[in-house]
Amino acid sequence: METIQKKTLGERIVAAANAFGLPRMIIAGFLLVLFIAAPLVGVNFFTQITNTINRFSWNAVLVLAMVPMIHSGCGLNFGLPLGIISGLLGATLSIQFGFTGPMSFVMAVLIATPFAVIFGTGYGWLLNRIKGGEMMIATYVGFSSVSFMCMMWLLIPYTHPQMVWGYSGKGLRTTISLEGFYDKVLANFLKIEIGNLSIPVGTLLVFAFLAFLMWAFLHTKTGTAMTAVGSNPTFAKAAGVNVDKMRMLSVVMSTWLAAIGILIYEQGFGFIQLYMAPFNMALPAVSAILIGGASVNKASITNVIIGTFLFQGIVTMTPTVMNSMIQMDMSEVIRVIASNGMILYALTRKTEAAK
Amino acid sequence: MNVKTRRLIFRLATVLVLIGICALMMVIGRGHTVYLDNKTLEYNGETYSAMNKVTVYVNGERIAKLAKRERGSSICIGQKFTMELEIVKEKGDEPVKETFTVKLPYNIDGVVINLPGYLAGLPEEAWRSEFVSLATDTSENAGMTDEEILGGDDMGLGGDF
Amino acid sequence: MRKESKLLTFITNNTVPLMFILICAVCIPISGFSASYLINEIITRMGRNVFLILSLLIPIMAGMGLNFGMTLGAMAGEIALILVSDWQIWGIPGVVLACILSIPFSVLLGWVCGKLLNMAKGREMITSYIISYFINGIYQLVVLYMMGPIIPISHSTIKLPRGYGIRNTVSLLNMRQCLDNAWALRIGGVKIPVLTFVIIGLLCLFIIWFRRTKLGQDMRAVGQDMNVARDAGIKVERTRIISIIMSTVLAGFGMVIYLQNMGNIATYSSHSQIGMFCIAALLVGGASVDRASIGNVFLGVILFHTMFIVAPKAGGVITGDTMIGEYFRVFVSYGVITVALVMYEAKKRKHKSRTGAELAAAQKEEAVK
Repeated sequence: METIQKKTLGERIVAAANAFGLPRMIIAGFLLVLFIAAPLVGVNFFTQITNTINRFSWNAVLVLAMVPMIHSGCGLNFGLPLGIISGLLGATLSIQFGFTGPMSFVMAVLIATPFAVIFGTGYGWLLNRIKGGEMMIATYVGFSSVSFMCMMWLLIPYTHPQMVWGYSGKGLRTTISLEGFYDKVLANFLKIEIGNLSIPVGTLLVFAFLAFLMWAFLHTKTGTAMTAVGSNPTFAKAAGVNVDKMRMLSVVMSTWLAAIGILIYEQGFGFIQLYMAPFNMALPAVSAILIGGASVNKASITNVIIGTFLFQGIVTMTPTVMNSMIQMDMSEVIRVIASNGMILYALTRKTEAAK
Repeated sequence: MNVKTRRLIFRLATVLVLIGICALMMVIGRGHTVYLDNKTLEYNGETYSAMNKVTVYVNGERIAKLAKRERGSSICIGQKFTMELEIVKEKGDEPVKETFTVKLPYNIDGVVINLPGYLAGLPEEAWRSEFVSLATDTSENAGMTDEEILGGDDMGLGGDF
Repeated sequence: MRKESKLLTFITNNTVPLMFILICAVCIPISGFSASYLINEIITRMGRNVFLILSLLIPIMAGMGLNFGMTLGAMAGEIALILVSDWQIWGIPGVVLACILSIPFSVLLGWVCGKLLNMAKGREMITSYIISYFINGIYQLVVLYMMGPIIPISHSTIKLPRGYGIRNTVSLLNMRQCLDNAWALRIGGVKIPVLTFVIIGLLCLFIIWFRRTKLGQDMRAVGQDMNVARDAGIKVERTRIISIIMSTVLAGFGMVIYLQNMGNIATYSSHSQIGMFCIAALLVGGASVDRASIGNVFLGVILFHTMFIVAPKAGGVITGDTMIGEYFRVFVSYGVITVALVMYEAKKRKHKSRTGAELAAAQKEEAVK
């Protein structure tokens, strides 16, 4: 403590900047520039804020799903698609069984849960076998499961006329509209609208609730044990913590949150996207939490909130602002470079604890 | 000479050789499309009339049989275009076979050669012109946004390997 | 008893190829393709892909795992081909020029990749995987926005109608299969691209020779144990960077060969899946993350492509939907990589715990003495 006080203000700023990281600073600065530039080039500021908040509410839970696995030392969950698939199974089965309106959302959550637990257990078992190589294998577990489910979406005998292809009467469509089911059920709950600004309070509340649960969990005995497993497995083992069990629990939690996350995403977006859609959903979530200040082995709820906001801010603002500024839509390219650059930055840090 | 300078010289030499090969390839590999016209040509007030029939062979392969006012085309890699013409000047004449080599300018992609003018031994600018494509852009890329051009992630489905 | 266990180890060591032979054996008769069609296709695809897959061998030798960063080389090759195509250099000279032109791009990208991988030791694969995505963004920036205004592109057949950026397909019509058709042999309806195979043969010889050179030996030492190699005076970081640069340059050449066979460049997607397919093919041939030979490459290409060709048709016959076959082959590609990665990591861990146990036992003995 004393040593910190002895530092001059300048040194402290430099230290804080170093801790914050250059790429993060560039991204935050970029977003700031976008916000400042938006009114100047004639883009409605409140519409932009609304869009950003909306997209934040869709994606926040998916980003939150990263937290448990980072805490238990399993690294970034590139296997997020596995959880997403559980959510998709819940969504499609709930509609298939004839539920409509808000009830279909509740049922989707209920049906997705056992799938998430089963898949998560298998996935966790696998990751316990290959400690140290989690991230690469997680990536490929995600990919394999997505491509496997591509076959399944065609083979499982779904019959609901709003989900299957019209002409053949079988096989699910690539996108399924949620109108009449749970389209915007959370978003419209307690929705605030002031002029151009609209805030989906319901969705934000659900996220806040889940985030609070996560925060509370991390402060329970089990939660601290999980963090201990991540930061120092040898010590945790010596202290009598069952390392494999903790890791397994974190994977199951992460998978379940991903399942819920995709359902919340769908209710905001209004469509279920199947087949190859879950494929690249892991990378945005991973880079969002990293932009928020997390590292490969450290993450907090604050990281989730800041990261999702920054990431979604850039995703929503760049196309409109860039387009009205230079008549060139470079948003896609900027998104690819920024998000992958962030992941790359995190992977090449030397701060990770030796496993 | 120590090892370091020798290595440096060796590397420089390799780079130079590669650049040399590049330059050579750029010369010998430059491709042109050659269009052969059998059309009546007016030049300096004189008329060089089209032939009744010309058959064009390149590398022993027949690429075109041109009646009056017809155009044939061939591709050529390098700046020398060699063709064998089988000419029937007027209806009923015996065909005459002859081989010609035309020098093509490096910077023109599509070269149009007017055969009657060329055969009459006129200066280059009389029988040679540049091919200008008049086709309008009806390609798939015409009204696409950047995101569409970059393509969705179909993850290699439909792609080939 | 002995014999049985030997058979068992053979099976466990070659699970993936054996699985594939089984899949092919089932699918070939169902698909109903004729033998000559299959052989023709496989030979064409061998000529097309073997060079690319061989580029993966050197980083494996240096202990850097499967180089997902080979995509960088593919991008370098594509940039070179786009330029060559704009300059209207056709035929074999065009191919040679594209190869040479890809070298500076490949070296630069490979150097960046090697530097980054040195900062991420122990997780090279995931890092190289993300690098390929990251550089893909840079590639898009260059090709979609900078080609035209900054890098001169003169032909409207290549450029987008709006005046900058490259179209999403660039035709290589005048270069199409020029390597494959030179010296091509036809035996009973099967076209053998002799020149392409000669080039592949030369690369194989080069790799065999390279393994015996000082640099090759160094790479193997680095791959075995970085710390031991460093103690022995080998510049570990430098050696690793060189291995990645070599792989990237070879991948660039491989991509040029691949695209001259295809006859056109899908500007924004040709490279995106190439790494995944090449790695899957190599693993199907029985390679693992730390060990791969030229034999694995050839066996892998044959098995993988047989599956690739017959799966959609067989899937269509079995389920009545060809899409299922297409999804199946994608699933198998990913599945194979997953299985190989899991087996490698599990083996590494087992090995680690065994050496740990041996060490503990040795210490105990020491204590007893």
